[in-house]
Amino acid sequence: MRILVVEDDALVADAICRGLGEAGFAVDHVGSAERAEAALGSENFDLAIVDIGLPGADGLSLVRRLRSVGQGLPVLILTARDGLVDRVNALDLGADDYLVKPFELPELAARSRALIRRMRSAVSAQLTVGGLAIDLAGRVARIDGEALDLTRREWSILECLALQAGHVVAKERLLQAIASWDEEISHNAIEVYVSRLRAKLGAAASIRTVRGLGYRLDDAAH
Amino acid sequence: MTPHTEHATSVRRRLLSLLLAPLALLLGTGILIDYISASKPIPIAYDQALVNSALAVAAHVQVDEAGHISAVLSPGAEAVLRSDRYDTIYYLVIDPRGEFVAGDRGLPVASSATRNPSYLDAVFRGDPIRVASYRTQTSAGPVTVSVAETRHKRDHGRRRVLASLFATDLVQLAGTLLLVWIGVRYGLRPLTALRDQIAARSARDLAALDVAPVPLEVRPLVHALNRLFETVREAADAQQQFLANAAHQLRTPLGGIMAQLDLLARDPAAAAVRERVLALREGSRRAAHTANRLLALARAEPSALVAGDIRSVDLRALVADAVAAQLDRALAAHIDLGVEAEVVRVPASDWLLRELLANLVDNALTYTPIGGRITLRCGNEGDGAFLEVEDDGPGIPPAERARVLERFYRAPGAPGNGCGLGLAIVDEIARLHGAHLVIAGGAEGRGTRIRLRFPRVV
Repeated sequence: MRILVVEDDALVADAICRGLGEAGFAVDHVGSAERAEAALGSENFDLAIVDIGLPGADGLSLVRRLRSVGQGLPVLILTARDGLVDRVNALDLGADDYLVKPFELPELAARSRALIRRMRSAVSAQLTVGGLAIDLAGRVARIDGEALDLTRREWSILECLALQAGHVVAKERLLQAIASWDEEISHNAIEVYVSRLRAKLGAAASIRTVRGLGYRLDDAAH
Repeated sequence: MTPHTEHATSVRRRLLSLLLAPLALLLGTGILIDYISASKPIPIAYDQALVNSALAVAAHVQVDEAGHISAVLSPGAEAVLRSDRYDTIYYLVIDPRGEFVAGDRGLPVASSATRNPSYLDAVFRGDPIRVASYRTQTSAGPVTVSVAETRHKRDHGRRRVLASLFATDLVQLAGTLLLVWIGVRYGLRPLTALRDQIAARSARDLAALDVAPVPLEVRPLVHALNRLFETVREAADAQQQFLANAAHQLRTPLGGIMAQLDLLARDPAAAAVRERVLALREGSRRAAHTANRLLALARAEPSALVAGDIRSVDLRALVADAVAAQLDRALAAHIDLGVEAEVVRVPASDWLLRELLANLVDNALTYTPIGGRITLRCGNEGDGAFLEVEDDGPGIPPAERARVLERFYRAPGAPGNGCGLGLAIVDEIARLHGAHLVIAGGAEGRGTRIRLRFPRVV
């Protein structure tokens, strides 16, 4: 998994490169939007981490240019500004996620992994969450190569959670995901399906309950 | 914009007093002149009638051969002379030496040497009278014939003239004043419309006023106001821009230091100094935390809202995001972080409320012991909405509740190493939104419940 880091601050850039390197990513670093464009034009990356405040053209205009030329790789924006306008701008322009400085390196690594995972699942229909391998096209979930025996509703819930792995998925959303098979499903029913799923996943991945909101699928190690 | 303008200069009052006082004076003078000029012909006509009567009496004056003067009116003639509907008529004939010849004895005589006939106002038998005297030449010398009448007719006539003049002039006066009052009122209508336009604005609305309906005379004022709005807006924008830059300049190096220390703490080569590196990392984390809070506090100044991003905000979505953002921290501490929320929208600044919630949840996580429970709530309450964070930590003693809102204040014995700005930020943001902040104890007498009540929903 190869990441391009576009950051002009040497201290931050160095920390990101080392941190992501330790987390198992291949990392390249450039200090300006112009050099980033050149790099992305000539080589393949799985993710770009772009700081908004760059010398010359800023990070937002870089994202805009990438999207306008049809460059579809996921972009994670780094920003030191916490105003909503910047966030909305970044996401509107086509960035996939953002992180406000100062950030924790493990969080950056986790977000990067999630973005790359989402991108790959869109391309290959394959998802990996912890020890769980999910084949979206074949509608099969495997642990250590062993296919799990899931009902259709359990599969729908797992699919929904896996596509948003690391993010809280609202209970209503899960209800909608299985509603096509059933008209009257209560919130309690969701809880039943989730507890069955938990038993089947074992230690490979964990489904956290967020009281009053929904569920979150995590790597078991998380 | 207070409607209380008793002592202020009022254009309407000025116009009315400048117009009405001179107008009233003018109309009053007009009435006086009318009265004088209208009442003048009346005495002249009546005096002429008196003189005619005197001439008629004079025709009866006779002088015999002995030079004896007499004036004998036949009963019929005297009856005609004295017949009058309103007044009593007197007459007197005196000879050149002033001796009585005929008529009413003692009647005052107008004895002007130069005028003939001459007139006199006098009192006779207790009544005011008007006397006309006429000297007629006879062979025995000038005989003076005086005819007098009481003043009833004259007074009555004058009163009638006066009354009719007053009636018409008063109608005219009232009509004029009414027209002036209506005119001033309607003439000032564009001004009151402008006043209403300004009064209807929110205090934070710095959009330019519409100049089109404003009268030419007031346009310079409105232009000046618009320039002022523009200046305030620019200043607010500049301040927010400055803060954004300051945030960038502070957070980037802090982020670099924190990340480098993170790496160093894991680096086997630095194992010997690991404790010191961890202390450094904790210090830099605290500095970053305080910098974040200070920036948030500065950004929560009223200028943030002047720079303007009030919109309809769904509290439930904010609550969900706030929980999702801090879920890892809660999971690590085995804290049950949950939500009891219904969809409710308030007019607010989205990111300021996010900042507020982040601070409340951060506080709750800091002070709630392992295995505790934190619940975020929002919903409708009366005409407004509420937003609440409750934990079952140690709670804030009632005596401390007001003080914890002060900047940099930390309750004695508070665990962790917060900077004492979190609740100050919450308080500031609540104020900006006109929300009422209450710090109370949690349910079952434990923990803390911080509740905001928003006056309005969208």
